[in-house]
Amino acid sequence: MKVPDEVLKIADDIKYMRIRGAGKIARAAAQALKIAAEKYSGPSDVESFKKYMGKVADILISTRPTAVSLPNAVLYVMFSLEKTSGNVSELKKAVVEAAEEFIRESLMALEKISEYGARRIKDDAVVLTHCHSTASVSVIVKAYKMGKIKRVYSTETRPFYQGRITTRQLLENGVPVIQIPDSAVRLIMHEVDQVVIGADTIASNGAVINKIGTSQIALAAHEARVRVFVAAETYKFSPMTVFGELVSIEFRDPTEIVPREWINDHPNVEVLNPAFDVTPPEYIDALITEIGVIPPQAAILVLMERMGWALEKIKLGRLDKIKLEDLIEE
Amino acid sequence: MEYVELRRHGYRKGLTSTEYALNIVNILLKMVNDEKEFIRTYYVVVDKVLRERPSNMASVNILRGIGSYLLENGFNGIRDYIVGLIDKIEKACEETAIIASHRIVEKDVLMTLSDSLCVRKMFKHLVDRDVEFEVYVLESRPGMEGLDLADYLDKLGVKTNLVIDSAARFFVKNVKKVVVGVEALAVNGAVVGKVGTSLLSLVANEARVRVFALAPLYKLSFETIHGELLELPEGDWSYLMDEEVRKTLPQNYSARVPVFDVTPPHLIDGIVTEYGLFAPQAIPVVLKQIYGVYPPKVESLEHIVSQIKEKWGEIR
Repeated sequence: MKVPDEVLKIADDIKYMRIRGAGKIARAAAQALKIAAEKYSGPSDVESFKKYMGKVADILISTRPTAVSLPNAVLYVMFSLEKTSGNVSELKKAVVEAAEEFIRESLMALEKISEYGARRIKDDAVVLTHCHSTASVSVIVKAYKMGKIKRVYSTETRPFYQGRITTRQLLENGVPVIQIPDSAVRLIMHEVDQVVIGADTIASNGAVINKIGTSQIALAAHEARVRVFVAAETYKFSPMTVFGELVSIEFRDPTEIVPREWINDHPNVEVLNPAFDVTPPEYIDALITEIGVIPPQAAILVLMERMGWALEKIKLGRLDKIKLEDLIEE
Repeated sequence: MEYVELRRHGYRKGLTSTEYALNIVNILLKMVNDEKEFIRTYYVVVDKVLRERPSNMASVNILRGIGSYLLENGFNGIRDYIVGLIDKIEKACEETAIIASHRIVEKDVLMTLSDSLCVRKMFKHLVDRDVEFEVYVLESRPGMEGLDLADYLDKLGVKTNLVIDSAARFFVKNVKKVVVGVEALAVNGAVVGKVGTSLLSLVANEARVRVFALAPLYKLSFETIHGELLELPEGDWSYLMDEEVRKTLPQNYSARVPVFDVTPPHLIDGIVTEYGLFAPQAIPVVLKQIYGVYPPKVESLEHIVSQIKEKWGEIR
C-alpha cells in the first residue's frame, strides 16, 4: 500500500510552502486525495482501502499543522468514505467525486461570497478594510462594479504592510482607495459606513481569528455603530474549536517590526509580534460565506453542515491530533 | 545611533509637544537684544506654528503670553519674562509628572504611545523612587516616536515591551493603567493627542483599564471655551515610507495620514495637571479657581499679532 509519488510531492510542496494560501493548500490536498484514490492498487477489501486513505490523509494533514483550511479539505473528502457503503470501486468513486466537488466549490466560493457580500454594501458606501484578504477584495470590487462604493480606506497593516497589496489590487480595479496608518482607524471611523474584512480561522462560537488589529477595528466600528462583515470561505471554520481547542496565536520574529541592531542595542526592551488577534462575535454583524450570510453565533451551523462527520471523529480523537488512520480502523 | 532601515518605515526623530514649545521660546530668547529682529522672529514663529502644528497649544499659549507682555510693557524686562515662562513650563511639566507618578504603584503594568516629555519625567520619578513597573509602548505610526520612548525607558532600565499599534487590544489585558501625553486640552476635557490615543483609550475602556492623560495647563486651548474647533494637521505618504518604497507602489497610490486625534472626555479617567488630578469634565471649575473668573479673559493670538503689527509694523 505504497502512497503514490505524485501524492507525496503535493504533500512536500505544501510543507515547504511551494503551495501557499488557504484556498490553494486546501485544493491541493483534495487533489492529492483524489489521485491517491485513483491510484490505489492494494487488496480489494473495503477496510484496506479505508486504512490506506486514512494514511494519506494523515500525511497531508501533518504538513502544515496550524492552517485550518488543510485539515478541513481533507476531512471534507474523507467524509465521503463514511457516507458511502459498497465495494472498493464505489468508495474510490466517492472519494474522487468528493475531491472534485471540494475543488469546484472552493473555486466557486469566492464568486458567491463576492455576490452575497456586495449585496450587503450600501449605496455610495465608504468602506474600511484591514490587511489583505482575497475574499474581502472580491466583495469590494464586485460592489464597486455595481456602482455602490464611494471610497475605500485600507489600513497599512504593520508590520508587513499587506494593506499595500490590498490598495494595489483595488487600484487595479479602478476602486478609489486611500491608505491610512493602523493607528488612525478610530478617527477615520467617523467617515466609514461599513467594514469588510477577511478571516484566517473562524471558531465555533463565531469568534474571528484574523490579522492583528482586526479586533480593535471591530471595536471602533462597534462604538461608531458601523457594521462589520467578515468574508470567509466555509473551509476556514475550525472544527477543533467545537471541542474547546484554542486557536493558538503565532508570535513572529521581532525583526519584522524593528531592525536586529535596534533590538540588540535595547536589552531592556522586548519586541512582541503577535500575528493574529481574536475578534469576539458580538462585534461582528455577519459572516459572509459561500453558503450564505449568517450571524457569527451560528458558525456551528456551517461546521455541522460541512463537517458533521469530522466533528465526531475529532471528538473521538481526543483533540491531540486528527489521526484518521487509527480512527478508521475502529 | 541611526538605524537606516527605519527610514523605510517613515521613522522621524521628532520633538515632543512640550519640547516643540520650548524650542519656540528659546528661538525668541536668543533675539531679545535686538528689538527689530525680535519682532520679525515673532511673526515668523507665529506663522510657523500655525502652519506646522496649529494644535500645539503650548506654543500658541507661549506666543500669546509673549505678545501680550510686549503690548503691555514693550521690551522692558522681556528677557526675564521669557526666562520665567520657560521655568514655569518646566515646573508645570515636572509637577504634573510627580502627581501622575503617585498614581502608579509597585508592579504596575502600564501602556502608552508616542513620546511625551511629561510622561518621560513621570517614568524618571518612578525609577528614582525605586518603584518597579513594566511598560508596553506602541510604536506609534506615523513617525514611530514610540521607539524613542522605548529607547529612553531602556536606558532607565525599565522592563519595556514594544508592540505595533494594532496590538493594543491584544495586550491591554495585561495592563493596569494607560498613561498618555497630550498635544492640547479642550475645555470640555477632550484631549488632542498623537493619533491612536483615542483608539488606545477606547481599547482600555473596553478592558476596564484606567486612562490618565498628562496635561499641564499650558496645553489648554482657551479658544475652545468660545466654541472654536481644534485644527488637526494631516500628512501624506511621506510620513509612512521613504521615496524608495514609494517607487514600488502604484503611481496613483495615495495615503491620508492624520497626526493627531481627539479623545472624548468619557474615555479618560483622569486629567493630570500641575494643580492636581481631576475628572476631565471638571476643567472649567479648575479654570475658575485659577483665574478667579470664568471664562478667563484671554485674547486670541490673531488679535494680539494684529495689535503688535499696528504698533511695530510689518518687519521683513
